[in-house]
Amino acid sequence: MIFLYDDEEYTYDDLLSTVNGSGSYYPLFKSKELFPYFANLVKALAAGLPLTLIDSDINPHEIDGLSEDSINAAVAFGEKTYGSVDDLICSLRQSPSEITIFTSGTTGQPKKVVHNISTLTRATKVGEKYAGQVWAFAYNPTHMAGLQVFFQAFENKNTIVNVFGKSRDEIFRQISDRQVTHISATPTFYRMLLPFEQPFGNVVRVTLGGEKSDQHLYDAIGKIFPNAKINNIYASTEAGSLFAAKGDCFQIPSAIRDKIRITDNELLIHKSLLGSSESFHFTDDFYHSGDLIEWVDEAAGLFRFASRKNELVNVGGYKVNPGEVEKAIMELDGVRQALVYGKKNSILGNILCADIQLEADSQLTQLDIRKSLASQLQDFKIPRRIKFVEELSLTRTGKLKRI
Amino acid sequence: MEEFLLDTINEIRSLKGLSPVTSLQPEMNLRNDLGLSSFDLAELTVRIEDKYDVDIFEDGLINTIGEIFSKLSE
Repeated sequence: MIFLYDDEEYTYDDLLSTVNGSGSYYPLFKSKELFPYFANLVKALAAGLPLTLIDSDINPHEIDGLSEDSINAAVAFGEKTYGSVDDLICSLRQSPSEITIFTSGTTGQPKKVVHNISTLTRATKVGEKYAGQVWAFAYNPTHMAGLQVFFQAFENKNTIVNVFGKSRDEIFRQISDRQVTHISATPTFYRMLLPFEQPFGNVVRVTLGGEKSDQHLYDAIGKIFPNAKINNIYASTEAGSLFAAKGDCFQIPSAIRDKIRITDNELLIHKSLLGSSESFHFTDDFYHSGDLIEWVDEAAGLFRFASRKNELVNVGGYKVNPGEVEKAIMELDGVRQALVYGKKNSILGNILCADIQLEADSQLTQLDIRKSLASQLQDFKIPRRIKFVEELSLTRTGKLKRI
Repeated sequence: MEEFLLDTINEIRSLKGLSPVTSLQPEMNLRNDLGLSSFDLAELTVRIEDKYDVDIFEDGLINTIGEIFSKLSE
């Protein structure tokens, strides 16, 4: 049974023998290779050892308290061998390990959050019906979303196909050659797969997470993956996976109803759902997630995510949600991707800017775009400075990089 | 420089459904004579800054075309 496709092929037996191979592991492992990274992860967890996950391209100076000497320094812990992959999975599921991960640091220094198996695998489902799934791995493996996919796949002995950081052509080739059935990725990732060229009927589940999506994108995904059910996940570095939604309508699950509060439209999470971190501030034991929601049906507890609190741009006294403007721009024919942001301005405080990536054959001009937007959006929401770009930069976790 | 300013102001005006002006006089008031709002002025400053690397509103309010000319000739 194949565990991982990543340039090379690795079976579950390869994983088992690598884990059984030596009595030492790396508490702090920095590697561009996915198989050794996963093997180290599994080994540490199954043995109940502490682990800190850092990006393969991290500069130690980016994280306070990270000592360069401890990176890739092997630590012996004695022999521990497993008779079978099932034994390995069993030990991992009961692991008392502390796993330290970092936020992507887009708004300042990366923040450290310590998790355990129960907060990391809250949403992991194991059973017969999850057997035989083939997962396209489209996230950074050292952050929460990637870990969610990893645990779901590993605990069910599924196959993982690495497509993170790969080109569009390679991604499609892998989806086809490996007969991928499940994909979980950011909306930005899916947008990079457009425009539609051919359908892939083998994909049965498309999950989106990390950013807000929209109907336009779901429709496009529906063409590329016509047999896939589409859903959204809300997960964060701080809390792990909290809600899943059909389409983009979320509902607070009854199991955690008393641990979630909405105040001033912001999602507040009770500390019992979180990993631990020195950077968490609580009000009455609730953590401000910084995610703003809008009610779809308050009585039924149905809501949508609106924006990140700190992404709102103050333009001439009006608060603009960049996501809303991006959505309107991306609905225009000829637009592939858009990033809307504020730039400091001596008259308005911030002026609204848009970096737009057009489809290859598009002849759209700035004026065309502004005129189209004028019929959809209020004046203050229309970007006054539009630049056409070849591509948009991404964060470590595959989301659009917001300035 | 005057041509760039004229073209830019006319582009901004046309997006608001205002007809183009034929020329710019130093005594023209940006808001009252040319119909520019704060948002329009903000856009104007950014476009001038992109071209000439000068933030014309940096030192405070600018009300007329003549004041823009002086700022850009500094």
